[in-house]
Amino acid sequence: MSSTLSAPFWGVFMTYSSKSYIEEKRAYWAMILPAFTIYLLVMAFPIVLSIVLSVSNYSGGKMFGGEKWGFAGFDAYLRVFRDPWFWNALKNNIYIVLVSVFGQLPLGFIFAYFIYARIVKAPEFWQGVLYVPNIISVIVVGLLWQTIFSPHGPIAEVINSIRVREFQNQVRGIFNAAGGFSLSDDVIQKILDLVGPSGQAIFSDPLIDLRDLLSSFHGEPIEEVYNALGNLFVQKWSPTFLTKSNIAMLPILFVILWMYTGMYLILFLANMQKIDVQIVESARIDGANEGQVMRYIILPALSGTIVNAAILAISGSLSSFALVFAMTGGGPSRVTEILSIYMYNNAFLGRPNFPLANAISLIMVLISFGLILLTKAVEKRYGGKEE
Amino acid sequence: MPEMIKESKSKKILSIIGKAAVYLIMGIFAFMTLYPIFWLIMNSFKTTREFQVSQLALPKSPTLQNYVGAWQIGDFSLLFPNSILYTLGATVGIIFLSLLAGFAFAKLKSKATKPIYNSFIMGILLTTQTLMIPLFLEVNLLGIYNTRFAVLLVYIGAGLPIGIYLSTEYIRAIPSAVVESARIDGAGFFRIFLSIIVPMSVPVATTLAILNITNTWNEFALINILVSKTELKSLPLGIYKFSGSLSSDYGKQFAALTIGMVPMLAFYIIFRKQITKGVAAGAIKG
Repeated sequence: MSSTLSAPFWGVFMTYSSKSYIEEKRAYWAMILPAFTIYLLVMAFPIVLSIVLSVSNYSGGKMFGGEKWGFAGFDAYLRVFRDPWFWNALKNNIYIVLVSVFGQLPLGFIFAYFIYARIVKAPEFWQGVLYVPNIISVIVVGLLWQTIFSPHGPIAEVINSIRVREFQNQVRGIFNAAGGFSLSDDVIQKILDLVGPSGQAIFSDPLIDLRDLLSSFHGEPIEEVYNALGNLFVQKWSPTFLTKSNIAMLPILFVILWMYTGMYLILFLANMQKIDVQIVESARIDGANEGQVMRYIILPALSGTIVNAAILAISGSLSSFALVFAMTGGGPSRVTEILSIYMYNNAFLGRPNFPLANAISLIMVLISFGLILLTKAVEKRYGGKEE
Repeated sequence: MPEMIKESKSKKILSIIGKAAVYLIMGIFAFMTLYPIFWLIMNSFKTTREFQVSQLALPKSPTLQNYVGAWQIGDFSLLFPNSILYTLGATVGIIFLSLLAGFAFAKLKSKATKPIYNSFIMGILLTTQTLMIPLFLEVNLLGIYNTRFAVLLVYIGAGLPIGIYLSTEYIRAIPSAVVESARIDGAGFFRIFLSIIVPMSVPVATTLAILNITNTWNEFALINILVSKTELKSLPLGIYKFSGSLSSDYGKQFAALTIGMVPMLAFYIIFRKQITKGVAAGAIKG
């Protein structure tokens, strides 16, 4: 009885189960494949393509059915390593990595701690404002700071207006000493001494010409005299932050430091706030000071976050492109080129050199992975107490 | 006793100095953020001539002329809709595909999960920008250079690794019993996904939306190599136009920069809390 019953029963169960199994398999692949296909197209295929092209002599045009191209050895890599501009770009990228890891991260951490420990008031304000640069398009940020550092920016305006005011105060002092607006030889000579030979050079006969000029202001408010003299004699200072090759990298690093510190602040603060308040409080009751709380509670709790942040900073710094592209475009005369711009220029400026550009692309990927592995190794060696 | 009072007094002075230093440093950072933005917006209402004479004073007679000019030169009436399309398209695409694959990784059994999921995790470490040259060549090879399709494809592909990571981790935390009881009631996997998983995944979807909306709206490096036709460009490309020969026309440049900055600034002011949370959750590598 039981055997006649059990056979169809098990049969029904088996078909149901295998049907369900097949359905699950089908659903699984239908759910995975759209994402996986796109992922392969956008990430994996380009890597394979760059491996192939970096050892080829492909020079543009149709990849299939066009001009023939084939294997050409590792020339591109040799050329990259022999090119001083590659090392220049790599050096600039390393500066950016260093500013990120040893500038943004510690500053972001310290700022986060100030807010967390209520050392500063108005936590919402600081968080809100310091994150703003991250929300704005890097192109906007780059062009904005390019203008700020330019001769038409506010820095130049402030410095120049200070210089003009200082000069005008000195002229005012001369007039005040003479008892008011005066055209006496003594006053004229003092003004000429003040402007020095470079200022006098604009006159053919300084004494007479300056007196003529000043007398033309007779009857007008004395401020007009100060303004005219200020405009005439104070040399305008033209900042060369982004045009002098030996310092052009500094403003870029400065902007990078300012820009992303707020992001790490947010990241560290969010993780500090996850720490159990009772642990910190009971440590304080037991007599732990600010430093001990930091050393024994906060730092260990955040070690994982710090490593993550370092990895984020490294991979971000190595691939950064738009900020430098907008601020200097790699100039003046290529000194601020970073790897991504060096690669971009090899592919799109002048005659394209695709094997070279692809070799650079691969080198960047490898450096990135290398540094990330290094960070992980450091974490394993020194950190990783928390689990 | 006096000794102790003295000590606590000097400690107090020290802590006041320390506090002042803290406020000073953070104040400098805040000033460097707020003042340039104020300076930019203020000067965008001056004519270029007025700007050259005085850059620090408020505009004497504010003009909208720069905005009219910048809007035309930058073709912003074409680029604005494009930016919206790319941002929404990529964000919706990333969220949908990430949740879908995340559900499969988390709740459906397969031996393929480990290698495929890990390959996505590896992708978190890779920045798509490093691959812009091979991507440019690939897009040409496939004949999709200068198409919206290519832009969306690349944006979605670039956003998937972190999207899949966050979705999978999130859906794993949903009890499997929820899925199993729906199965026993006879629901198919796609129905379970749409009627159970998606509604439960709103928090992680919000995080992904926050991350991807800002990233995509501001993206420059990739779209720069994917399209060259004006009618396909996004806002950052239009703004970049104002850097070359146009950069001496300060009034228009500032208006263009303001146009580029204001939408995201407004987005940030409205959704600041969610953005802050999203960034903290999304800043995961490896």
